[in-house]
Amino acid sequence: MTPPPAMADAMSPLSRPRDSRANIDIMAPTKGAPWPYLLALGLAILGVVQGFLVLAYQAYVGLGVAGYQQPIFWGVYIITFVFWIGIGHAGTLISAILFLFRAKWRNAVNRLAEALTVFAVLTAGLFPVLHLGRLWKVYFLFPYPNQRALWVNFKSPLLWDVFAISTYASISIVFFYIGLIPDIAMARDRATGGKKIVYTILALGWQGTGPQWKAHSRSVLHLSGLATPLVLSVHSVVSWDFAMSIVPGWHATIFAPYFVAGAVFGGFAMVLNVLIPVRRIFRLERYLTDYHFENMSRFILFTSIICGYAYGVEYFIAWYSNVEFEQSSFWLRAFGPYWLSTWAMIVFNCVFPQLLWFKKLRTNLPFLFALCFFINLGMWFERYVIIITSLSREFITGSWGLYIISPVEIAVIVGSFCWFSMWFLLFLKAFPVIAIAEVKELIIHAKDHGGAH
Amino acid sequence: MPELDRRDFLKLVGVSAGTAATACADPVEKLVPYVIQPESVTPGLASYYASTCTECSASCGMVVKTREGRPIKLDGNPKNPINRESLCARGQASLGRTYHPDRIPGPLASAGDNTQQAITWEEGMTRLTGSLKKASGRTYILGGPVGPSLSGVLDNLAAASGGKRIVYEPFSHDALLSATEAVFGIRTLPLFDPEKADLIIDMGSDFLATGLSPCENSRQFADARDVRTHPDGGTRMISISPRLNSTTQSSDEWIAAGTGSQGAIAFALAKAVYDKYGAPAGVDEETVEAFLNGPSLSEAASVADIDPGQLQKVAKALLAAEAPLVMPPGVAGTDSSAASTATAVMLINLMTGAVGRSVQIPPASAGTPVATQSDLEALVKEMKAGRVDVLLVHDSNPVYSMPPALGFQDALSQVGTVVSFASMKDETSEAAALVLPNHGNMEVWGDVAPRPGVRSLIQPTIRPLMDTQALGDTLLEATRALGGTAPEGSFFKVVQDNWSDVDWAEAVGNGGVYTDVEIPVPAAQADFSGLAYSAPDMAGSGEFKLLAFPHSMLGDGTGAALPWLQEIPETVTKLEWNSWVELSFATAEKFGVDFGDVVEIETPAGKFDVSVFPRGGIRDDTIAIPTGQGHTVGFYASMEGEGERPSWFQVESPAGTKGVPRGVNVMSILSATPDEKGGRTWLNSMASVKKTGRFRRLALAQWTDNQRERRLAQAVTLAKANGHDDGHHGDGHGGGHHDGPPHTFEAKYDADPKVPYRWGMAIDNDRCDGCNACVAACYIENNIPVVGEAQAINHREMSWLRVERYIGEGHVGGGADRRPIPRLEELGKLDIRYVAMPCQQCGAAPCEAVCPTLATYHNKEGLNGMIYNRCAGTRYCANNCSYKVRRFNYFDYGQENFPGMLGMMLNPDVTVRQQGVMEKCSFCVQRIEHGRQLAKDEDRPIADGEVNVACAAACPTNSITFGNLRDDTSQVVKEADQPNRSYHLLQELNLRSSITYLAKVNREDPEGVA
Repeated sequence: MTPPPAMADAMSPLSRPRDSRANIDIMAPTKGAPWPYLLALGLAILGVVQGFLVLAYQAYVGLGVAGYQQPIFWGVYIITFVFWIGIGHAGTLISAILFLFRAKWRNAVNRLAEALTVFAVLTAGLFPVLHLGRLWKVYFLFPYPNQRALWVNFKSPLLWDVFAISTYASISIVFFYIGLIPDIAMARDRATGGKKIVYTILALGWQGTGPQWKAHSRSVLHLSGLATPLVLSVHSVVSWDFAMSIVPGWHATIFAPYFVAGAVFGGFAMVLNVLIPVRRIFRLERYLTDYHFENMSRFILFTSIICGYAYGVEYFIAWYSNVEFEQSSFWLRAFGPYWLSTWAMIVFNCVFPQLLWFKKLRTNLPFLFALCFFINLGMWFERYVIIITSLSREFITGSWGLYIISPVEIAVIVGSFCWFSMWFLLFLKAFPVIAIAEVKELIIHAKDHGGAH
Repeated sequence: MPELDRRDFLKLVGVSAGTAATACADPVEKLVPYVIQPESVTPGLASYYASTCTECSASCGMVVKTREGRPIKLDGNPKNPINRESLCARGQASLGRTYHPDRIPGPLASAGDNTQQAITWEEGMTRLTGSLKKASGRTYILGGPVGPSLSGVLDNLAAASGGKRIVYEPFSHDALLSATEAVFGIRTLPLFDPEKADLIIDMGSDFLATGLSPCENSRQFADARDVRTHPDGGTRMISISPRLNSTTQSSDEWIAAGTGSQGAIAFALAKAVYDKYGAPAGVDEETVEAFLNGPSLSEAASVADIDPGQLQKVAKALLAAEAPLVMPPGVAGTDSSAASTATAVMLINLMTGAVGRSVQIPPASAGTPVATQSDLEALVKEMKAGRVDVLLVHDSNPVYSMPPALGFQDALSQVGTVVSFASMKDETSEAAALVLPNHGNMEVWGDVAPRPGVRSLIQPTIRPLMDTQALGDTLLEATRALGGTAPEGSFFKVVQDNWSDVDWAEAVGNGGVYTDVEIPVPAAQADFSGLAYSAPDMAGSGEFKLLAFPHSMLGDGTGAALPWLQEIPETVTKLEWNSWVELSFATAEKFGVDFGDVVEIETPAGKFDVSVFPRGGIRDDTIAIPTGQGHTVGFYASMEGEGERPSWFQVESPAGTKGVPRGVNVMSILSATPDEKGGRTWLNSMASVKKTGRFRRLALAQWTDNQRERRLAQAVTLAKANGHDDGHHGDGHGGGHHDGPPHTFEAKYDADPKVPYRWGMAIDNDRCDGCNACVAACYIENNIPVVGEAQAINHREMSWLRVERYIGEGHVGGGADRRPIPRLEELGKLDIRYVAMPCQQCGAAPCEAVCPTLATYHNKEGLNGMIYNRCAGTRYCANNCSYKVRRFNYFDYGQENFPGMLGMMLNPDVTVRQQGVMEKCSFCVQRIEHGRQLAKDEDRPIADGEVNVACAAACPTNSITFGNLRDDTSQVVKEADQPNRSYHLLQELNLRSSITYLAKVNREDPEGVA
């Protein structure tokens, strides 16, 4: 893998001393707030506000305003929950596993990916709460000590979810923050006024000394070690929400690896979907090069194949089991009322990514952007298919039903995307989108080795 | 919601805080004790009063359960020989009339411009007596059949005012009355006992659901066919009906004879019977032969458009049977020759000896006979001529239920003063100049004499809730004011005096006096004048015969006001809340319409638009529309109470407005053709169908009748039920022991080893006829809210118990439609299987494991408990329930779906569930706990039969048995121990259900019945 030569001059001193080109380039987006940015942020906040208002209405009137009907008791809230949890996985994978594997190319994209993880988990975490029939009773789900000795059910996969998500959220935030410290310190050194105070507090007295760097790299290493199993466990636990049940179409042992692969797949697609416009808008072409996109594309292709395999295995096992419940469930998945979702899922997730076998396409950014958009759509539909089709055609044929998304649900889902965007937009202005310190490391590395790596 | 109350405020706080830091948002409700406690009331303990059901003419006995002075549940009166301990869905639901939002608060007088204003009783009585005095004999009293005491009081008023009484009933059974008159000279309704027959030929009577005494007949029919007492399968039934109805479904053979051919078939069969048995005693042969001058069997078969061999077979079976019984056509089959047809049927029963065995001819009841349509025509003529000054209407709703073709509605404006005594507002009370509301059905004294040997009392069980007066008292007062002769004292005294021949206290305690009376077989006095076979006269030139059939829940329309009857899926179609027209699949295809498409139905008498329900169980030349809907007045009966909920899927909803009818009233497009004896007919019109291109979705509770060979509703052959391998491995369905997964577990082990109980149930699908009494009982016992049409369309019914209907074994395939509809019915084919589906109280319940808060859990006695207060509403349990019996409170149903006083009928022993929590069948745990208290007081275990669940108690056919599986002598264990046909639902999932189903028995072809 050849580091891009374009990066070589990023370290070259400019006219202004004591600052590198990388610092200036990467910090540039944090300066000022042009009107398109403000407009986007305003729209995002508006979306969040409407989402919360609609949510309040839903909680007040009752979940009947959502599209649930017997026997489909979970709908787009859980679908979107799984979707967002999945998105987060790319970040953890990039920052932890690729770190441990010393895949240096990750340095340019890991900040963004980690940020996505944090915001995705923040978004995902909303859904298990807002889908509750009595969301004001959400504290029932936590094992808190109380006088009445009420306890939670440790057999329930939903409880495992509570722990999985809270662990995931805390590790992701810590990881993200530790990685940010050197860059915050750099921002602190350049900031003035009120910003300086905030950055000073957040920088935790970072001076860039040797011992500090040593401690920093140690903590990143250890946190990577801690986070690595999470990549596998969090989505495995989420998948058990389904796999541990008895519903045909859910009850499958393949769910854990299948969900993890899907999560990484979708997560990478989301990273690319965000990275490509960010690179363009903030002119970071120097730091985010074909080299990165090609590597990410390969990952997408790889995970897409795993997903395709998992889909195939599901159908094979359903057929091979000779159990009519399973067979009917899967037959109706593909040819029943939700056939469109199923085929969208298969085409977007398994067929389209095969184009990435062509190197030209792997580095064609408009193509990649479009492809990743479809992958995200496909991954959303994957969860839709798993949840809705399975529930709508269960054991008791006399209790079959149909789920139709309601405007309330659409409003809340839009709100969740705005919520995610809002945090992301705020992040863009607060912190460098590329880990400057790590990029520098990469550049120095490239220089030292003359690119022959 | 005018104001923000405390509960809503807390909810809002809870929401705006984002999460739950605000703690508890549950309502605080205060228990207010009696200041002076009545002696007869112990708070927390129910009092029971015997009374009589007045929903239909069967007059079943009932026991009213009251708590703290409020009736909360109706059950059958075990002492009453008619229905014993069971009570049908209509009877169960009638409790709601007392607390109904439609109750008229007090006397009303019309204030011009179609409004009514409240007046005082003094003023009301003054107006009533004033107009009666002025009327100088031009007074008519129109009303439904009432008991002897009230009837006497009505007669007094009629005499005092010089007026005339007309007893009017929409389902009047005129033809049957004419038939008994023709054959025996007695105008009376026969009593049928299917249990005493070995072969029933049903000519479309629908006696199991909408006949003369459905509760009683269902029990008799089920007993007659119980395979344990009748290893030969018991009574067989052949149904002759153009449409698959509730009774046809329970038959062994269905002959889909043409609509309107029942006359031809009856005459042909009668002739065949005559040829074998000869003329009955007391009737000369010429008379019979002259009367039976009708079509031969083959001619009848061609009229009926069926294979002559089929009819030959029926005749053969009829002649071969030892104790045959032919059931005359019911309401749906009354055409212009209905009286002759019924007479022919009655003659068959006389000739075969069924009269005296399975048909009793009671003496004619005293008092005013039920008016025929001719009498009504005469009334309308008088009204039109302006010769009716006062029309008093009681216990009926003629504005709704008279066919407009008769002109009653138009003639009403010619009447001087219309007075309504209704206790609930209806079309007639809205049109009345004066409304003097009667007490509710739980607030009055009364009596009924339904048949020889049964005299029942109606007693009040709650103080009047409204400013109303018992109809009897109003009438007495008016009679006295007119100077007529009236008995002393109040109407209660009148009733008491009429019962002075018996021990009053004992009679009140037992709900009446029941004696074993041998009804003598009256001598035949054949007078067939005016009766002869003729082809029915169908008005109009439409392409289809219009079959107006009685709705099994709503009856003649009186049930439409009761929300439970609207929401409980109709027995055969599983449709709720609205009207539909049944077209055969071929007809629907011809018009290019499918489920929910609106078509225009036109007859000479009128037309209306109605949604299509295509089905296989109806002939191509016939369309069928149920009675009962199309009310323009009433909170539930019309669209007035509908649509307060946001709904995103509702296509067309003129909801929440007064005066908008719910569905259509089929009576409005029927002709007024009478039968030969002037009786009312229901099968009298040809109709044309026109596609409108519009669509109105119907609430269909069950989308498919295909069980995809999943063996949810199993059936065995008779041989198999008796333990013989029938050698048909290919279709030897059912019997979990043999060709299903092995019966590997004993449900009784799934409870704490130290407790003596594990509650369980046995449900006999062979006895079940799908009548829904259990569902109604469950609704009322467990405070289950009714959700309304818009929510029912979204499959959000809250019923804890549903009765699923499957046809045959089904086939793997189909189900790919977005909203499938039942498609397996076939003309002339029967294999309809019902599965009552309460919570299975699994031993290894999938719902319990997944609840994160332990809101649902396994209790020590094996029940799946549900702690509403602990439920956060993740709904995981409902997803994981394989039987789909869990129900979710999508809205604040408990608070909002019991409008007005309906909340007063809530069972105080059962929590009213909050918005956002899950609920399900609890095996009536409140009843178990009550039983436990009683047993504990006496320091003994709960005895078998001491605790019964509401569904099992209500079931007319005793299909459901509840009890303790750990007691080897209990009824439920004995019932479940029928290894040849017992099975557990979805046994292969190993959920260890505590309910044992007994497979339906498919009896072989009735041809072989000797």
